[in-house]
Amino acid sequence: MSQFKAYKTQLMEAAHNDRISTALSRAIKSYRANTNNALRKFPHTIELAEEVRKIKEDSIGRMRELAEQACESIEGNKGHAYIADTAEEALKIIGDLVGKDKLIVKGKSMTGEEIDLREHLEESGNEVYETDLGEFIIQHLKSKPMHILSPAIHVPKEDVATLLTNITGKKVAPDIAEEVAIVRNLLREKYFQADIGLSGANVVSADTGTLFLISNEGNIRLCTGVPPVHIALVGLEKLVPTLHDAWKVAEVTWRYANYNIPSYVSLVSGPSKTGDIEKVTTYGAHGPKELHVVFLDSGRTKLAKHPLLRQALYCLRCGGCLYECPVFAVTAGYFGDKYFAGIGAVWTAQITGNLEKAAPIIYTCLTCGRCKVRCPMKIDVPQMCLELRRMIAQNQT
Amino acid sequence: MPKKRDDLIPRGMLLIADNISSQDNIFGASPGAKAEWAKELSLPRRNKTIFFAGCGYQYLRHARTMLDALSKLEKHGLDAERTTGIAKAFKRVGIDLTAMYSKLPLGGDDHYIEVLHSAVKVLTGLGVDFGYLHEEEPCCGAPLYFFGLEEEFARHCQVTYDKFKSLGVKQIIGLVPSCTNALHNLFPNYVSGFDIEVKHFCQVVWERIKEGNISLEMPQKVEVTYHDPCQLTRYLGVIDEPRQVLNSIKGLELKEPEWTNREWATCCGGGGGFEMVFPELSHILAVNRARELMETGASTIVTHCPACVMQLEEGLSDLGRNHTEVLDLAQVVDRALRR
Repeated sequence: MSQFKAYKTQLMEAAHNDRISTALSRAIKSYRANTNNALRKFPHTIELAEEVRKIKEDSIGRMRELAEQACESIEGNKGHAYIADTAEEALKIIGDLVGKDKLIVKGKSMTGEEIDLREHLEESGNEVYETDLGEFIIQHLKSKPMHILSPAIHVPKEDVATLLTNITGKKVAPDIAEEVAIVRNLLREKYFQADIGLSGANVVSADTGTLFLISNEGNIRLCTGVPPVHIALVGLEKLVPTLHDAWKVAEVTWRYANYNIPSYVSLVSGPSKTGDIEKVTTYGAHGPKELHVVFLDSGRTKLAKHPLLRQALYCLRCGGCLYECPVFAVTAGYFGDKYFAGIGAVWTAQITGNLEKAAPIIYTCLTCGRCKVRCPMKIDVPQMCLELRRMIAQNQT
Repeated sequence: MPKKRDDLIPRGMLLIADNISSQDNIFGASPGAKAEWAKELSLPRRNKTIFFAGCGYQYLRHARTMLDALSKLEKHGLDAERTTGIAKAFKRVGIDLTAMYSKLPLGGDDHYIEVLHSAVKVLTGLGVDFGYLHEEEPCCGAPLYFFGLEEEFARHCQVTYDKFKSLGVKQIIGLVPSCTNALHNLFPNYVSGFDIEVKHFCQVVWERIKEGNISLEMPQKVEVTYHDPCQLTRYLGVIDEPRQVLNSIKGLELKEPEWTNREWATCCGGGGGFEMVFPELSHILAVNRARELMETGASTIVTHCPACVMQLEEGLSDLGRNHTEVLDLAQVVDRALRR
């Protein structure tokens, strides 16, 4: 039972860390206010979410079919596409594409986090820069993300100042604007020196092979637009049949992630090209000459067959449930593993680990059900946690 | 190699499961202690409609003792260790639950008993015809379900249903949200042909107040806030009724917490057996919820669940708000009916 003990010790340390609860209580307050305003301004979102739930129910039932269609579409757009059955396979495909001694700029990707993509590429002799501000902080603190959208949600500005002082060798004041400017300068040249840009995707349309990338910082546009090669890692659950469906999924995602509209939505369907000279199509005009999209299964197809737990694949990763979880409010991502809180328990049990590893997380769910009230997909997280408890009790490990 | 399930299920949960199977109550107290509160009420033992009091209030004094014992285990770091059984672990820190239970004050000294007395007075006062099964009242077994012990729960449901039937029960008025949820929402999934009508106390009370045009008034003006229990609000959907009841009482002003009301209410930290596994964390959540409720400026917290009452009292005590009263809705209605 030492695993439970170790988990509990960490969880309780987090619960007694006032910085976490202070940072979270501010974040929760602003999340609720922003989301309320966004939903009031765009009231159609609530009905749209119901439509998206139906799109996801259909798509999750035929992910492999959609992945094959998407691969065909992307190849047709002169990109390259792959389906990886396992995390190892995905790492091999990307590892082979990257090689070694490369400079890589990377956008935030939970799927990347899931398979330890950055660590894998670093171990094979590459330099990887996380470009999302939160992820940059986490990378340099050698910590782990504590929220799917705001990975450094538990790190106050004073700690960021100390970190940046260490990196730059110059005294940095705990001033957020200054901190943002310093990271901008640190990363600026990396985009243009980089050999490869890495990203995930928020949703992908199978009919056109289009990746939707939602961002506010602008780092995703640079990562996917400047280096000569763009590699994207996408979980199969992100696939939907059409471009129209994808647009709906994207809108619901950012609205429940507390935005009226994000600063940027990039749609990437193939490599950069031009036909401006004699109508001869030539690749690599200003953007990447190569696009590689790796679709990852890693247990998703199997999970989709479970009548109850398949709901976990409907998740849009808006992060709303985390703001409503009373345990998360005091422990942040210490309640979880790669993915967090109640829904994270399902991902740990079925995708990134096993039932035994997930057990402590499964019993940390209060089953209070407020996450479900928030969830645009109405995912019944308590019911899934109870199902996992049932599986443990019946030895279905 | 798959591990034995007992290695993965937290021991606080296994303790409760054992208590249910051995003593038919969640705290492992003597079954006879259950009905002590009703000794002098001479409620009929048989009726087609019964008041289901539940383990919560009937044994709340035991709950405190057991939770203190589990907290002590946690402090000694023995809560997660699995090499010995829980009885041995208790022994190692010098805890003898049975002996402690036997020293607990009975009946009148227990202020939670007042909730049960109030509930009975309210139902009687509103003209509801009901009985109470006394020590024959079974445990609903809900924790078994919430701990994933489905096979045990399924068996428990059938035995419990058969008992109800043999005692001639046709309708149940539940007071504890989790018992009521189990009987109303879970039993039908495990008992074929389940035909007992289950309502929550608050639903019955509101129906009677509405139909009977009953006038309610507090003896003194009071500002209260209402804490929605998770299972009452999000599992049973009893959201409007408690508010309708409270708003029908003259001299009572309801002040809702900002944002965290109705289906958005924050859990008190006592959900789904959580306090048995994470007593210390559960306490932190209780303090947080008590703080949210105190921000309304109300002088009294009204809720409708024994676990919430206990948690919020602890939370308030941590905040140094010992003078703030936590009442079950049944007590409020009782006070308002007296005039």
